[in-house]
Order: sequence, then C-alpha cells, then structure tokens
Amino acid sequence: MPHSTSAPRLGDLERVVMERLWEADQGEGATVREVFESLEKDREIAYTTVMTVLDRLAKKDLVTREREGRAWRYFPADTREALTAQTMRRTLDDMEVTDRRAALLHFLDGASSQEIADIKAALAEVEARVEAAEASPRGLRGRLRR
Amino acid sequence: MLPLALAGTAVVLVWLTPGLLARQAGLRHAPRAALVAWQAVSVGGVLAALFVAPAAVPMLVGRDHVSEHPVLVAVAGLVSAAVIARLLVSGHRVGTRIRAARARHREIVDIVADHDGTDVRVLQHPTATAYCIPGRSARVVLSQGVLDTLPEPELAAVLAHEKAHLRARHDLLLEFFTVLHESVPSVLRSHRALTEVRLLVEALADRAAVRRSGEVATARALVAIAQGRYPDEAMGAGTSAPVRMNLLAQGPNPTPAAAAYLIAALALVAPVALLAAAWT
Repeated sequence: MPHSTSAPRLGDLERVVMERLWEADQGEGATVREVFESLEKDREIAYTTVMTVLDRLAKKDLVTREREGRAWRYFPADTREALTAQTMRRTLDDMEVTDRRAALLHFLDGASSQEIADIKAALAEVEARVEAAEASPRGLRGRLRR
Repeated sequence: MLPLALAGTAVVLVWLTPGLLARQAGLRHAPRAALVAWQAVSVGGVLAALFVAPAAVPMLVGRDHVSEHPVLVAVAGLVSAAVIARLLVSGHRVGTRIRAARARHREIVDIVADHDGTDVRVLQHPTATAYCIPGRSARVVLSQGVLDTLPEPELAAVLAHEKAHLRARHDLLLEFFTVLHESVPSVLRSHRALTEVRLLVEALADRAAVRRSGEVATARALVAIAQGRYPDEAMGAGTSAPVRMNLLAQGPNPTPAAAAYLIAALALVAPVALLAAAWT
C-alpha cells in the first residue's frame, strides 16, 4: 500500500500545521504560502505538501477555509483546548450511548460520590489483605507461587 | 413439538438467561470463563432461532419424503435467511458507526496529543483519565493529569489494563454483543448482557493490571481515577468501579470457571440436539 509509509509522516505534519494555525494571530488564519514560509525555516518541505496537508485537515473538518483572491485562507475550526476537552469526554457528541461504550474503552466508566466512598473502603480491605498475606510466611509463599 | 421447543430455547437463551447469568456474581471471579458462557448463550440463542424453521419441516411433511415439498423447504430456508439477514444488517450498521466514531476520535487525538513514537498519546489536560481507541491503528490515551497524579506502579497498572484490552481485542467482543443487542427484537432485548459483558471485560483487564503491579496498586489506581473525574460528568450509580474493587478485595477464586463452561456447553448443545432430534 503506497500510503502506508507516508501516512504517519503526513499525520505528524498535520499536527505541525495545526500548531502553526493555532499560533497564527487569533482569528486571522493563514494561507498555504504563509504556513509554508513559516515551516520552511525549520524543515525541508514542499509547498504542495503543505497544500495537501491543509486540504486533508479541511476534509476532516479540523480547519475551515475562505477564499482570498485565488488562494484559500485557513482557520482552525476549534481551539486546541476545545479539541482536547472533546477527546477527554467519555462521550462523543453525536453518538448513541451503546456505541460510545463500544468505541472507546475507558479505564473507568465514572463513579458517583457514594461509589467513591465505597471503593475507598474496599481499598483499605485490599491493602489489609495483601499486607496480612505478606506478613505470614505461608501467605508469602502463596503469593510468590502465583 | 420440537420446533416449539427450539423457539422456547431461543427465548430462554436470549431473554431469560441473561438475567439469570448476570445475577451470578460469583462468575465474575472467573471473567474469562464467564465471557465464554455469555458468548455461548448468545450464539446458542441465535442458533435456536435459526433452527426453528428447519426443525418444523419434518413435522409438517409427516410421512412424505422432504423432496416432495419443495415450497415448504424454501419457506423454511427463507425464514432462517431472514434471521441471518437481520444479524448481518445489524452487524454492518453497528460496525460502521463504531468505526467512524473511532476514526474521528483518533484524528483529533493525533492532532492534539503528544507522543513519543509509540502507540501511547498524552493529552494536555489536568483531569486523570486513561482509555484506549481500539482498531487498526490502536492508541492508548493518557491525560497529563493521570501522569502527574499516579505513581509509577499505578500508572503501569493502568497501562497494562488498557494494553490488555487492545491485545485481547475486547473491542470485538463488545462489538459482537452490541450487534446482538441491536438485532434482537426490542421486546426481547435485555441490557443485562451488554452491561455484564462490559464489566467482565474490565475485570479481565484488571487481572492484567494485577499481574503487572499487584492488587494494591491496581486498587489505588481505580480510586485515583474515580476521584479525578471531571465535574461535568453527572454520574449515576451503577458504574463498574465498586464491583471491580470488590473483586480485588476478595482476591482470586477460580472455582466458578467450571460452572461457566458447563453453562456454555449446554447453551450450544441444546439447539443442535433439538434440531438433530427433529430430523431423526
């Protein structure tokens, strides 16, 4: 597959380009040329690559664009903070509950304050049991065998 | 009567058994065997539903030879095909939705999260959280909050838990049960299966965490992440946390595994035996 080698590289470039757009003056966005010129200082990159990356980002709805003469001016669709908050939420906005829980596997699916109190009490039990097992030589052997 | 017995078996396996099985809290001590039982019960239910029409054929043709009644055979085939079609449609719909959601989520994570060249991504967020995005290019996602608050052994437990999900493809298991859940007619649908399977999958991943860091570190990680939940999350009771904690508190107990395997065997043998009996 030809894209399998270039995809990770493009993925990294997407990050870099998004960062440039976020750094660009608030609300002013940037043209392909402006992004290209700012990237060119740090790395070897082709103008067309920047164009491709911005185009991909637009297709993913991560950037919006407006015509400016014959070129496009690109704007981040969301702030970095808003996107991060979106990935932190257990739920995705436009999904049914059953789907969400099959799509992402969270370490913990949340806990109410009563449950937090309960699991703290249970933690003390776990600690006591393991401590007791380690204290008795028989228990220690049992643990080592496991 | 055998077709009726098969229809009854289908109803029992799809509708009654999930409730009974979910109440056997002891099975949670053997999550792997319990998951086998749940899968066998589900597959057995589907098989029973598939077999109702084929089992009715010998009864309806009486003493005639089957080949004398091609229409009857065709109708029986169509009824079973309808069951299969329902499953396939549901499978396609669920699979497409889940994959689209994951792909979208992964796109955003890859844009905002930091990484060190592995499949672990770090989100710049103070809340302690950890999850994985399963699939073809899987990711384990940690927040800066979880890196800052959890000491090394607890962090290792969390990572071992998420990697166990990815390695054992727990996502496929959850997808399978989501598909079944959707394809069952809504009057017969039970949330218990899906809820219990989710819990068992977590309990199984917790075992990987215990193997890596021990019970105490795993339990502490659960408490730390439970306390770090973001305030916008108005959680009702009934999450997996208390059950998983109790499993850790009670320690390992492998005895229920045999019972679970017995249930699994029964659930699979019953529909096949009934169909075989209808044709002899």
